[in-house]
Amino acid sequence: MIQVKNLSVVFGNQTILSHVSFDVNHGEIAAIIGPNGSGKTTLIRAVLGLIPSDGEVLIDNEPPSHVRSHVGYVPQRFRFDPNFPITVREYLDLPKPHVHKHEHAHKLKEVGLEASILHKPLGSLSGGQLQRVLIAQATIHHPSLLILDEPSTGIDIVGEEQFYDLLKEQRDQHGTTVVLVSHDIAVISNVVDQVICVNKKLVCFGPPKQALTQEKLSELYGKTDTSLYFHHRHY
Amino acid sequence: MDLFQFLQYPFMQRALIAGMFLGILLAGLGIFVTLRKMAFFGEGIAHASLAGIAIAILTGFSPLPVAIVWAILLALLIFILEQKTKLPIDTVIGIFFTSAMALGVILMNFTSGYQPELLSFLFGSILSVSVIDLWIIAILTILILTWLIASRRQLTFLSLSEEQAIVSGIPVRFQTAVLYVALSIATVLGVKILGIILVSALIIIPPAISRLHAKSFRAHMILAVLFSEIIIVFGLALSFFYDLPSGATIVLVGAFIFLISFIFSNK
Repeated sequence: MIQVKNLSVVFGNQTILSHVSFDVNHGEIAAIIGPNGSGKTTLIRAVLGLIPSDGEVLIDNEPPSHVRSHVGYVPQRFRFDPNFPITVREYLDLPKPHVHKHEHAHKLKEVGLEASILHKPLGSLSGGQLQRVLIAQATIHHPSLLILDEPSTGIDIVGEEQFYDLLKEQRDQHGTTVVLVSHDIAVISNVVDQVICVNKKLVCFGPPKQALTQEKLSELYGKTDTSLYFHHRHY
Repeated sequence: MDLFQFLQYPFMQRALIAGMFLGILLAGLGIFVTLRKMAFFGEGIAHASLAGIAIAILTGFSPLPVAIVWAILLALLIFILEQKTKLPIDTVIGIFFTSAMALGVILMNFTSGYQPELLSFLFGSILSVSVIDLWIIAILTILILTWLIASRRQLTFLSLSEEQAIVSGIPVRFQTAVLYVALSIATVLGVKILGIILVSALIIIPPAISRLHAKSFRAHMILAVLFSEIIIVFGLALSFFYDLPSGATIVLVGAFIFLISFIFSNK
């Protein structure tokens, strides 16, 4: 599904990512982890072809720009003027209109929201509700690849569980490949098929149980006590 | 005083029809101008069109078509420079706006005698809309509105989140370039009635009033156009009956409606 070979990103004199390579197969959930400033968001933006990079990125054997209509994307930050008058329903329809009303309601239910918010202004939603609406919009047309940058930000613990169930549902029912940036290693290690650990370069890659060794986590975060990363939550 | 007396004069009929076309066009585009926080664009293009008008007067061509071509070229240059340099758009517009206006002033220096065309372009005139101007305004308005209505969702999406719009397959660069060109054409068309100094008011004020009341994007578009038409019709009528400059009267009517809306709205 995604093939990344020798991907490097340089801004001016600063190397943000150096020679990163990994593959994500169809229907897998992969998490990109790493400390703040390690290049996680840059990696996602390079995979999507939003920023210039060296190396090769292929999605379904095509350059990212050729397959964009099959990709759902939730960015890390969605800054908009909360006073801009647009309803949740209008926002959901922006990428591709003519979605039936019951599909809107079904999608909102999937992300844990009531259909009654369809007619509410987008700017009146709480941070957690807005994040769920962004995820609903990214998945409403069942993309073959879903990319999320720190998607559980602003969602509470119960909502987070529901959110990871949604990702599994996308994978199991629609065959969607999911790539997400996350800080919560304990949670993702029970949910994802692959982890991609980056800190300017690829530190580890593979199934969580094999890739997330104490040695690799120490290399990634520069600490030795790996219990700091695991919070004993299991989904 | 017969309220409809002013409609008996052909020049007033032309001004009113042109104004109603422009009201829809400027308000429709203005929604995206206010959303993208690029109110300076209309201001800049309007002032920069002075050089196009000066070129037309010096060469003996009709000012409106020359000013439109000039404004399209400027809009494309602003778009290219914005893409290439990554400078903020208001900085790029500021450079072009002042340079083109300065060029216009220098070129005007070479024209001799009284220039009624120039004055009507600076401050707007209801007497200045010819039958040919009216046709140009009508045809270009219909073309731009057709594109605007078809592209409204894409324009909203790319204005709210450019990266999400790119990933969803929207041709963001193309649509942005077309928006700049459409806005530059609409601004120059609006200069006929409102004048260089005041045309940008009709891009900003109706969407601003609409935002005080609208709770959905659909309502925002409808209300912006509705307020724009009310402002133009009342403004033109007042300017006729009290022999006031059309551009200034229209803008003051708009500002008055904004003030009343602001007082009675809860936003």
